[in-house]
Amino acid sequence: MFNMEQHLHLILPVILPVAAGGAMLAGKPLKENKRAGRVVLLLALGLELLLVAQALMKGGGMVFWHLTGTMELAFQIDEISVLFAALTSGIWLLVGIYGISYMSFEHRENQFFGWYLVVLGVLIGLDFSGNLLTMYVFYELMTLTSLPLVLHERTHQAVMAGLKYLFYSVAGAFLALFGIFFLAGIAESLTFVPGGTVTREIIAGKEGLFLGAVVCMIIGFGAKAGMFPLHGWLPTAHPEAPAPASAVLSGIITKSGVLAVIRVVFYIVGPDNLRGTWVQNVWILLSLLTVFMGSMLAYKEPMLKKRLAYSTVSQVSYILFGLSVLNPVAFAGALSHVMFHSLIKNALFLCAGAVIVTTGRKQVNEMKGLGKIMPKALLCYTIVSLGLIGIPPLCGFVSKWYLAAGALASDTGVWSFLGPAVLLISALLTAGYLLPVSLNGFFPGEDLPCGDCMPKEQGKKEPSLSMLVPIGILTAGTLLSGIFPQSFFAMLTGIAERVF
Amino acid sequence: MSFVQNFPFFSIIIAMFSGIISSVLSGKKARNVTFGAILIILILSAGVLHFCSGQGSYTYMMGHFPAPWGNEIRAGVLEGLTAVFFCLVMLLSVLGGMKHTEQDIESSKHNLFYIMVDLMLSSLLALIYTNDLFTAYVFVEINTIAGCGMILIRQKGRSLSSAIRYMILSQLGSGLFLIGLSLLYDVTGHLLMSPAKEAVAVIEAAGTYGIPMLVIVAVISVGLAIKSGLYPFHYWIPDTYGYATPAASAILSGLVSKGYIFLLIKIFYRVLGQENVIASQIVNVLFVFGLAGMVMGSLHAILERDMRRMIAFSSVAQIGYIYMGIGLGTQAGMIAAIFHIFTHSATKALLFISAVGLYEVSGDRKDYKSLRGSGYRNPLAGIGFGIGALSMVGFPMLSGFISKLLFATSALQSPSKMLPTLIVLAVSTVLNAVYFLRMVITIYSIPREKEKSMKEGESLPGSWNLRLAITCFILLNLTLGLFSQPIVKAIGNGLAMFA
Amino acid sequence: MEALFINLEETVSIILFGIGFTMLLLHRNLIKKIMGMNIMDTAVYLFLAAKGYIKGRMVPIVTEGIQDVSAYINPVPSGLVLTGIVVSVSTTALMLALTIRLYERYGSLDLDQILMRAKEEERG
Repeated sequence: MFNMEQHLHLILPVILPVAAGGAMLAGKPLKENKRAGRVVLLLALGLELLLVAQALMKGGGMVFWHLTGTMELAFQIDEISVLFAALTSGIWLLVGIYGISYMSFEHRENQFFGWYLVVLGVLIGLDFSGNLLTMYVFYELMTLTSLPLVLHERTHQAVMAGLKYLFYSVAGAFLALFGIFFLAGIAESLTFVPGGTVTREIIAGKEGLFLGAVVCMIIGFGAKAGMFPLHGWLPTAHPEAPAPASAVLSGIITKSGVLAVIRVVFYIVGPDNLRGTWVQNVWILLSLLTVFMGSMLAYKEPMLKKRLAYSTVSQVSYILFGLSVLNPVAFAGALSHVMFHSLIKNALFLCAGAVIVTTGRKQVNEMKGLGKIMPKALLCYTIVSLGLIGIPPLCGFVSKWYLAAGALASDTGVWSFLGPAVLLISALLTAGYLLPVSLNGFFPGEDLPCGDCMPKEQGKKEPSLSMLVPIGILTAGTLLSGIFPQSFFAMLTGIAERVF
Repeated sequence: MSFVQNFPFFSIIIAMFSGIISSVLSGKKARNVTFGAILIILILSAGVLHFCSGQGSYTYMMGHFPAPWGNEIRAGVLEGLTAVFFCLVMLLSVLGGMKHTEQDIESSKHNLFYIMVDLMLSSLLALIYTNDLFTAYVFVEINTIAGCGMILIRQKGRSLSSAIRYMILSQLGSGLFLIGLSLLYDVTGHLLMSPAKEAVAVIEAAGTYGIPMLVIVAVISVGLAIKSGLYPFHYWIPDTYGYATPAASAILSGLVSKGYIFLLIKIFYRVLGQENVIASQIVNVLFVFGLAGMVMGSLHAILERDMRRMIAFSSVAQIGYIYMGIGLGTQAGMIAAIFHIFTHSATKALLFISAVGLYEVSGDRKDYKSLRGSGYRNPLAGIGFGIGALSMVGFPMLSGFISKLLFATSALQSPSKMLPTLIVLAVSTVLNAVYFLRMVITIYSIPREKEKSMKEGESLPGSWNLRLAITCFILLNLTLGLFSQPIVKAIGNGLAMFA
Repeated sequence: MEALFINLEETVSIILFGIGFTMLLLHRNLIKKIMGMNIMDTAVYLFLAAKGYIKGRMVPIVTEGIQDVSAYINPVPSGLVLTGIVVSVSTTALMLALTIRLYERYGSLDLDQILMRAKEEERG
């Protein structure tokens, strides 16, 4: 089997948050005591960051369970794991710090933090997974453990949103399971290998079924990433959760759908087996449709958190589009957008949460004059919004540049220019749905439509420091990564070279 | 001859005698006797399993007449494994449902229930071990009567009318089985399985008796399929499982139908010859009805509002899975089917027993509305139900996932049936998810203020035996999910020994 | 056609089995269902008895000293019939007891009506 001590660095990052979360959920002393809960949360998140960093540096892999004769549960660290695990644990810490002051406005905060930690452990397990089966196990666990975050409010609405979330995710996962069963039957192993393990000889004679299985897996895992046609849960479930949960749901958990698709297409199936097939066309079509549709729906949505959720639908499909053209440059762009969108969307949701707890405003048209109340938060909001739209010095520009360049260079026929065009239109729409908040906030004009829009007690009312600092850090990350993207892209191009 | 070889006979006779003794004991003493008997049989069966995995299978002569005339018992790895498993499920089901058994039944009749349990166990063991077709018929009937008694003993609700339906369908099934084996006796001249198989081989080689053999295969398969509740002969299932006392529901759904399926598999391998059965196309019929059952059972379950009837309808779907595996007509499919027998008995019994824990904290009401939040009121039962539901849906690391994996991989080996199997498997999985996960969410959601029947936070963990039973069932499920390899291997060995 | 007349007992028993089976399956009256069940079982016994009988031989009951095997008919089917009768008597008894209970409770022997009344009772 395995040497416990030798592989401790791989197991601990998964076990620690789950254990800490479990203790908070079940342990009598921790369950009630708010202060102890916060201490445990921060300690666990901090320690987790160190553990993940150490695990990523040491690398390696291990098999920890033989489920059947040919199938095993295994961890394996490669560049993709590094990217996703580092992102996840970093963001989790920032949002956790934010969450401590945010959740003091809500009830049963320790229960929330307990599940929050458990999900982190599961996500790290997902990032470390070394084969398709392990990934599927953690993928399902992630759905189940993140469900309590959506259900936290326990209102009827929250329950319905949770149900919707569960059904879409489970339906997607089982579509994918169908494909996994098929691949398990034909492929020699389900271990992730850059460039894929399925050779042409294996699928000879059953191409039709093979492509059908792949399409099932892409659509199935795409459900988590909010891809059309299984996108419907996202705008319902994300806004229903408390702000820290919506932030990580939108910022990180949707990315696990992306991770799953990357693993399936580039590490099992192999991009060469898909190039030029109907599967690729369907995939491109679905992702572009989602990009456009998400932006349109966001543009029409009056509630801020919901608008951000629609924006996630659209932006995550940018990533899927980048993957679907099967071009190294676009692939690098897609991976970078994973990171950038994660930073930005977390910052946006945290800002929206800060607005809700300090002023109680939820609708976009209530945001007038907000710049007078919380200028720093709104400034951060504006900067990251510009980043998401893709204004040059900011990071969104870089990733979109790569996406468009890759799409143009790819030999996908009409898609190679139709894709960039859709991305451009969607960027305009992004500006259209994000910026009104800033504009109205900073320049409310003379005629405020309602008396309530200005707070009764005049003057500034910034959110507390522990809420502002994480937002600030995320904003700084957006800025810096846009200005100095070289080394990051060098790494991504390296991955792309190995995969193609 | 090793002493262990007596154990199959001992276990049948112990179960039968404890039934007889129970008839003159008080309820409590009968209960203790029954528990003792099941425990002893469990140990004996484990001994048989151990012996057979070392030394291979053997036949055991009953009485003084040698092979072609006398009566025989046969034990092998598969028989031992099944016996161990059935005893375990039986023990835990009776344990978990004990409190309700005592509430549901008049106190003067408590011992009757335990007589039924003993009879049931002895007939199940006899069905597992016997090497003689007519003995099998007799025990099939004893099994039916014991099952009917178990349903009847709770004289509330619709249990009477469901019992008569159960009896009628069972009689149809046993009638077909009886005429089938009479025809077989007519054609081969034997009732013992091994000589009958030799005679069948001679007949097949000579090419004579084509139509009678076809009729025999068809009549025996259909008879046992009716008795095990294959769609469309399923309509007694929801009523019987839904209205019997919980222990009885768990036993009936978990074990009784499985006993018949086991017998069918044994007859396929040990009498008719698996290759003849496949050649007769009967497996294809079973396959089609299995697929239909998988979908229809789940659809009915989705429409159902009562928790226990929902679980019962899910049994229809699961029986469909098993017949689909048999219908694939491959060795791998058969292994998958047998593994699913184990999976389903462990999981379904867990679901029924956890359901008890959930609705006893909801004022004994079983509809969705009343069950809201019951997962908080009885946390262990909630977890148990959740795990059972996830296993049925096919969540990795639980037993249901392994079954589905086995079904899917075996389907890939038979090209003509691959596509329908995979598609129906996927559809049925999603349908399973719809009703099971809806129920799980329901038990973990908070009742709205005006509907609150119990105060929030008030948790009633239930009696110790319920908790113990649920814990053991969860462990059993995890064991099947995580350590499936040795079990699958043992099933393969056992099937090889059948031939 | 001729084969049917040569195997007269078998033909009759299969016809009887069919009659019994259909009655048990389709008839709504419980008593008639039970009759059907008995006809079905009896048909099988006839079949088995016919199988055991060999023309010109005697019952295997030893009265005038043991004779050669060829003097007796096959005793196994007779044994099976005896066992079968015991089984069918017990199931018949159980079914009849159930029927009495159902009649006392629902006042009908018609299965459809019984099921309907049981449902009504539960609702009301």
